Amino acid sequence: MRKRDLSYWLFLMPVLAALLLVVIAPLLLGIYYSFTDWNGIQTKGFIGFDNYIALFQDERFVDSLWFTVKFSIVSVILINLIGLSLALIVTAKLKTNKALRTIFFMPNLIGGLILGFIWQFIFTKAFAGFGSIVGIESLQGWLSTPGTGFWGLVILMSWQMSGYIMVIYIAYLEGISKELIEAAEIDGANALQRFRHVVFPLVAPAFTVSMFLTLSNTFKLYDQNLSLTGGGPYNSTQMVAMEIFNTAFGRYDMAYAQAKAVIFFLIVAVIALLQVYLSKKREVEM
Amino acid sequence: MKRKWRAGILAASIGLAGFLTGCSSDEAGKSDNNSKNEQVALDIFQFKVEFKDQFEAVAKAYEEENENVKINITTVGGGEDYGAALRSKFASGNEPAIYNIGGPQDVEDWKDKLADLSDSAAADAALDGTLDGVTVDGKVLGLPYNQEGYGFIYNKNLFEKAGIDPSTIVDFASLEAAVKELDSKKGELGLEAVFALPGKETWVTGLHLSNTFIAPEFDSNVLKAFESKNIEFQYGDAFQKVLDLQNDFSVQPTVSLDYSKQVEELFSLQKVAIIQQGNWVYGSIAGIDEEFASNGIGLLPIPVEGYKGDHIPVGIPMYWGVNSNADEAVVKEAKKFLDWLYTSDTGKETVLNDFKFIPAYNGYDSSKISDPLSKAVYEYAEKGKTIGWTFMGYPTGWGQDELGVEIQKYLSDEGSWEDVINATKKAWESSRQ
Repeated sequence: MRKRDLSYWLFLMPVLAALLLVVIAPLLLGIYYSFTDWNGIQTKGFIGFDNYIALFQDERFVDSLWFTVKFSIVSVILINLIGLSLALIVTAKLKTNKALRTIFFMPNLIGGLILGFIWQFIFTKAFAGFGSIVGIESLQGWLSTPGTGFWGLVILMSWQMSGYIMVIYIAYLEGISKELIEAAEIDGANALQRFRHVVFPLVAPAFTVSMFLTLSNTFKLYDQNLSLTGGGPYNSTQMVAMEIFNTAFGRYDMAYAQAKAVIFFLIVAVIALLQVYLSKKREVEM
Repeated sequence: MKRKWRAGILAASIGLAGFLTGCSSDEAGKSDNNSKNEQVALDIFQFKVEFKDQFEAVAKAYEEENENVKINITTVGGGEDYGAALRSKFASGNEPAIYNIGGPQDVEDWKDKLADLSDSAAADAALDGTLDGVTVDGKVLGLPYNQEGYGFIYNKNLFEKAGIDPSTIVDFASLEAAVKELDSKKGELGLEAVFALPGKETWVTGLHLSNTFIAPEFDSNVLKAFESKNIEFQYGDAFQKVLDLQNDFSVQPTVSLDYSKQVEELFSLQKVAIIQQGNWVYGSIAGIDEEFASNGIGLLPIPVEGYKGDHIPVGIPMYWGVNSNADEAVVKEAKKFLDWLYTSDTGKETVLNDFKFIPAYNGYDSSKISDPLSKAVYEYAEKGKTIGWTFMGYPTGWGQDELGVEIQKYLSDEGSWEDVINATKKAWESSRQ
């Protein structure tokens, strides 16, 4: 057990002060405001749980929450699938390994807002142009229906995050000792069997890490959503973060938006705690 | 042990010093102002990005004339962002002396922080009716920026080629006939479609277009709209007709069509003949085709069947407010500056030539308005052929978030016109309870 004398606290103080000022204090203030009818300028006083009661009957909030959940599930699956496939490609003995790694990782270096605008151009212009040349009607009018808006977001997100997730899988794949694979090969296992029964169980821990990384990232998505679809058409692709922002800064319902943000915070907190719990549990097992 | 202590204190003090310097810069600024008694600092927090450079130049000229005044201008553009930025500016305690307010809702929100400007020369010179939305209990709380107007901007050359005389378009039937005529000659005119309806921009459909049909219901009075507990959509059918006309003859899909595609890509490059926009697009069009912008475009009215067919909506987009919390000397100088800007000869010149504003004040030489759209708006205003802007009296967010979104649903065949009317009626009532 370390001795916690005064110097210990002195070293800790700058961080504690920063944490208190920029995280804890705003959080407490936010919770306080969510029980008032604050409009950003002044408040008339406490209104109890009214905001919370209203938000569960708010179709828009519930819709955006549901959309976010759907989006997250689909993206998490796709990103992990693509990320793992990319990792398998670049860990195979290919000459272009290094270059491929860089290329796959590159989308992750571009900011979300810019990516959104680039893909908006691709979906509305390039897709339409390509579609009219080869005569595929379904490539026209992307982002103008809820369905294409949804898949547009999923494609954008997968394209951006797969490279990042790939890096995590690479680390685990390269940690697998060659002897195991060779042994399986000698025993007559084919490539698919080797992957299914040797490689897959060994990279399983990477799933937990990647899963929660992608899950929390997709859940809190805002900038890509804003620049790609802007929530449209008719708010059908509006995710929770954006819905909260619009409530706060579009309708100036600050306190109500704050209540939504508290609920959102609770959901994200549960996901984060679950992640910590699961990865701790795994550590014990291994 | 001692060394560890010292290191700890060092770390803590460096960390804290960082915070304190962060906090102290404001204090320093304030005491600086107080030490020089005569120097008055005017912090202006304004939203119009389009004239930022010209405005800063004017402020500099004013500083040279009045050495005791120092003007600091901060510009945060785009309607929505400005409101949020202004709120955080006030919340941070760093309150501006002059800021912008929109309609009655802003006045209601900010009225404790707005000084009475009725004794200023600019308030006297303001055009009739322009101060309605900002007058509370006989106190004038804002001064108009300028006037703006919108309607159907059309391509003169294409109208000529198609043999349509724009002056004959004075009601819905004649507009419809002209549109059909243009549509039948799409090929030879090189048009993609007649209209470009930007359904993605909910301010175009939910605020501007809707206002044309809602304003008559409230006698063009923004305060009436602001105080109304409900909305009837008296001219709802006329509204639907114009929306349908634009949608049916527009480049598709309208629901994802945005402002830049409408104005720059389609209209400026003469791929569509008519767009519903206002005098503010002149700059964008001129940036692409100077010649076309100055000679090739004109403004048509938006017809309201059963009301008036040849009027255009003209209004005041934004007002200047003076912070009543500021020192008396600052309030005085702020009023002086605004008076100078709108009523002195130098100020008038700048407003017309540099800002390219359509003046909202008496005593301007209207023949000096340079661009054709502003001129058209001013002419309509002179003849009194205007419909007021009541959309600033809509419940907060109603126009864009409710009506605009419902219209998007209607445009994508997700709901009927009935649904649009019913849903937005209910939303209006519930926010005005």
